[in-house]
Amino acid sequence: MRHFIEELEELQGRLLEMGTLVESAIHTSILALTERSEAQAQQVLGNEDRINHLEIEIDELAVRLLALQQPMARDLRFLTAAIKINTDLERMGDLAVNIVERAIALMNRPPVRPLVDIPQMARTVESMVRKSLDAFVKREPELARSVLTSDDTVDRLRDSIHSELISFMQEDPDAIPQALDLILVARHLERIADHATNIAEDTLFLVKGVDVRHHLEPNF
Amino acid sequence: MALRHFSIELEELHELLLKMASLVESSIRRSVESLVERDKELAKAVMRDEPAINLMQVEVDSRTTRLLALNQPVAKDLRFLTATLKINTDLERMGDLAVNIAERTIDLLSRPPVKPLIDIPKMAALVESMLLRSLDAFVKVDADLAQTILPADDEVDALRDKVYTELVDLMQHDPAVVPGAVDLIFVARNLERIADHATNIAEDVIFLAKGVDVRRSVVRPALG
Repeated sequence: MRHFIEELEELQGRLLEMGTLVESAIHTSILALTERSEAQAQQVLGNEDRINHLEIEIDELAVRLLALQQPMARDLRFLTAAIKINTDLERMGDLAVNIVERAIALMNRPPVRPLVDIPQMARTVESMVRKSLDAFVKREPELARSVLTSDDTVDRLRDSIHSELISFMQEDPDAIPQALDLILVARHLERIADHATNIAEDTLFLVKGVDVRHHLEPNF
Repeated sequence: MALRHFSIELEELHELLLKMASLVESSIRRSVESLVERDKELAKAVMRDEPAINLMQVEVDSRTTRLLALNQPVAKDLRFLTATLKINTDLERMGDLAVNIAERTIDLLSRPPVKPLIDIPKMAALVESMLLRSLDAFVKVDADLAQTILPADDEVDALRDKVYTELVDLMQHDPAVVPGAVDLIFVARNLERIADHATNIAEDVIFLAKGVDVRRSVVRPALG
């Protein structure tokens, strides 16, 4: 049996591999949408299985380390954070697939006017994902905190996209299916941002041993 | 704190998780009832219960982690603890989704009804039954019961598609109903996602009972 520390490094490496795949899936799903690119859409769908398998592998590895070792304090926090981050990453991968499904539906219909603020929202969300993973790798609480702030920006963008598309549907009923697809894309992006926020919160828990979920202030 | 017996702590964790599950189940039921009955106070009550669910999630997580740390659980107890971590996440998400339904309800109440609700209550009944069965399967560690939940997920998806098609048609004929119809489309989606989480719980129960991972039809032997 290998040394515990090596196994922990292996686990972190797998999580990063998964993080990179998921980041790329999100980025490519938005390209599929903005460029109406079937090839980009297929690329995201083609990577889904790899992400799902990695999730199971990471879960098994983390559980095995919990079972065979008796991790304490920081290692225990790392393992529980790894299990949570793994779940979040897999959900983000699913959401990228959901965006691609909307992108494919949109390709099969005439284009509607420019994609409102979706590209801007996507850039904000992608940067949150990148920062949350960076904060986790480098164990940087300040970077993790900056992700929590961006989540409010994303919620505001989602609300403005939502009301803009509602008026658009009322003006042009023929474009209702496309507008609904775009509302869903905004919603998927918002949820990807929520998962990035979870990763940032898990990172804070990992670094400081403090649970910041649900904005609970710890009383130590 | 005195170190109590591991099995007592496990039992208490189990009870806390079930208490959380029953609050989540009640939130889902009341959120749909508030929609159907157009009852704003009930929708607000669902929103008020959210912090309690969130606190329970944090409590379940920290107790599970402590049990993993202070003991060296193997086999069945280890599977129970890992299933608890997952089910806890699913329950909290379901609670959020019930709150989303309550929020859509409050928005819907500011306007006249879009249409008589038929398929959404049907979806809700199906979803509630899935949740109750998945929890029952968890309590009894009954893989066969858990297995019966998996096909219901397809029925829920089919109903969601039906609701979507009907509402799009309605909007195209009457642009005035657009905001309300969009709310209802989201309610149907939220219910469908609650069904997905009930399915996750059922899969965790199968893992717990048999030690096999049935997620995404990948069947593998148990660890340890």
